[in-house]
Amino acid sequence: MEIAVCVKPVPDPDTRLRASPDQRTLDPEGVKYVLAGYDESAVEQGLLLREQIPGSAVRAFAFGPAPRAPEILRSCLALGCDSATHVAANEPVDDPLVVAAALGTVLGSRPADLILVGKQALDDEEGLVAPALGALLDRPSFSSVTDLRWSPDRARFSFRRSTEVEVERWEAPPPLVLGLQQAWNDPRTAKLPNVLKARRMPIESVPAAPGAAAGRSVPLRFDLPAPRAGARMIEYSTPAEAAERLVRILREEAKVFP
Amino acid sequence: MTPAILVIGELREDKPTDASREAAGVARRLVGDAPVMGLLIGSPVEPAAAGWCRDGVDTVRWLAEPPAGGRLAGALVPSLLALLSEGSIELVLLPSTGFGRELAGALAARWDAGAATGVTAITRTAEGWEVRRPVFGGRATETRILSGPRAVVALRPRSFPAPEPREAPAAAAVQAVVAPGPWAAGPTRIGSEPVVSGGGPALGDAPIVVAGGRGVGSSDQFRLIEELAGALDAAVGASRAVTDAGWRPASLQVGQTGRTVTPQLYIAVGISGAIQHVVGMIGSRVIVAINSDPSAPIFKVADYGIVGDLLQIVPALTAEIRRVRGR
Ligand SMILES: Cc1cc2nc3c(=O)[nH]c(=O)nc-3n(C[C@H](O)[C@H](O)[C@H](O)COP(=O)(O)OP(=O)(O)OC[C@H]3O[C@@H](n4cnc5c(N)ncnc54)[C@H](O)[C@@H]3O)c2cc1C
Ligand SMILES: Nc1ncnc2c1ncn2[C@@H]1O[C@H](COP(=O)(O)O)[C@@H](O)[C@H]1O
Repeated sequence: MEIAVCVKPVPDPDTRLRASPDQRTLDPEGVKYVLAGYDESAVEQGLLLREQIPGSAVRAFAFGPAPRAPEILRSCLALGCDSATHVAANEPVDDPLVVAAALGTVLGSRPADLILVGKQALDDEEGLVAPALGALLDRPSFSSVTDLRWSPDRARFSFRRSTEVEVERWEAPPPLVLGLQQAWNDPRTAKLPNVLKARRMPIESVPAAPGAAAGRSVPLRFDLPAPRAGARMIEYSTPAEAAERLVRILREEAKVFP
Repeated sequence: MTPAILVIGELREDKPTDASREAAGVARRLVGDAPVMGLLIGSPVEPAAAGWCRDGVDTVRWLAEPPAGGRLAGALVPSLLALLSEGSIELVLLPSTGFGRELAGALAARWDAGAATGVTAITRTAEGWEVRRPVFGGRATETRILSGPRAVVALRPRSFPAPEPREAPAAAAVQAVVAPGPWAAGPTRIGSEPVVSGGGPALGDAPIVVAGGRGVGSSDQFRLIEELAGALDAAVGASRAVTDAGWRPASLQVGQTGRTVTPQLYIAVGISGAIQHVVGMIGSRVIVAINSDPSAPIFKVADYGIVGDLLQIVPALTAEIRRVRGR
């Protein structure tokens, strides 16, 4: 089974967000870009499937400029991916449709029974790449996927897709594009010898197809909410009084319920 | 020239969902008196179409779900493309639900359009559609321009007002039949279960969320959280400490490795406020924290705080809410 995993370099979740000097985007100055969020789960899921299906390979793909993209590919190799491909762009591209087009052009020419991506990227949270990739490659695509399993006798995947109100159970043969929602609390971490080994592994670099860099979605402003002042503490002498005061505030001042 | 808009709506219990109604209202506001085409996905129900017309759409089409059952965004795209070419549509609006986002991505890729999801404000400017959307789990907001000739915009539920009903002409409901996608025979939906939600509404969808953390103390005592949620018709959430301990299922976990929620009101009970939890709820409009430790970091992100023993405060709060709501 050939498993492709697409990973996006995103700001470390602990990053203190700041706007760039032109106020249009996040200020990348001093930000560490890492593998995180659902993408980390996508890699974990790929590796778990490989353990289960003999003769499988997990191949990582990242689109964007160096050094961010090759760096997170390096961490994918350290986690155990078999190969890494950098789809090189000159500048960061944050339009998910451009991302999908660039990745789709490369993936379309490779054997991939299963393409795994995050349900949404930790930073832009669009959730567009999985369905766009599916449409471009003309393969079925599902997002919000959990509990992905492979059934060897039936040559089918089974998985769940969560909607707002129910959890659907699906079965599908390869090829598939899946946006994973599964979030393991503890995806594996790279062991030191593997980190060292990954440093010496090659990272393939292919240029992004021409035309795939002209976005139609242009950032205009990046706003941070005014810092929260800290909670207004409710003074009380008995629990009943605390409850009564809070409910009054929530109804009359915050107007969050009638 | 006023652009033509297509609004795609979802049905629940034979009615357009609130988010679909909001989308109709937004479309109406954007185009003034120009026509708005509506498309409902599911089996035809005439009253649903009529109600939706009062919300802002002028004509309603039906798109039957593909025979394989269940919603496969890619399989609907060919029919959508045919419809779009018919009406010289420039903008497609739809609810930013899980399925709405799948449809937005698949459609935009094939229609060669710009797209944005989770949008909380949209205006027309000379450069294109200007959209605002929370990013980084609500820790920041970005504003973008979708500058191409075509755009697909998924609107975050409950971020727009419910439309004012208007006098509307009777809907011309035309049934459109779906050409099944080329691989409609591939994936099959074999069943479904309601979301494990701890009783009340689903976590991803609820206007109020009551979440419990390790401070709740035990699986048994977590019932206090569920009772408070019940009194508020709220969804139940949990910190990872709770789901890791197996007190409640992982589907209730809020945070970096769980769900991101943005309700009107989030009540965090016995939760310390670790950053990995906070990123999943900081986009909530009003945050209340109940914690026995006055220096707990959760009080830095909360709007209102009660320092105290949750075993006493929560039952009192549940009783007070039941009292004011008359039940
Ligand atoms: C990679 C990674 C991902 C993670 N993802 C998530 C995630 O998605 N979601 C998540 O929640 N966490 C996540 N975590 C874990 C996170 O760091 C915290 O450990 C977790 O949120 C703590 O849960 P808690 O607040 O319930 O427990 P604690 O931190 O133990 O806090 C319990 C709180 O309860 C209070 N308390 C105790 N008794 C009472 C009482 N009787 N009355 C009132 N208050 C009381 C205490 O003062 C304390 O503040 C993640 C961690 C990592 C490393
Ligand atoms: N530049 C990129 N390179 C590789 N994969 C990406 C890139 N951007 C997004 N993805 C994948 O697409 C998923 C969804 O991204 P988005 O649609 O932007 O929310 C991410 O979780 C990644 O798996």
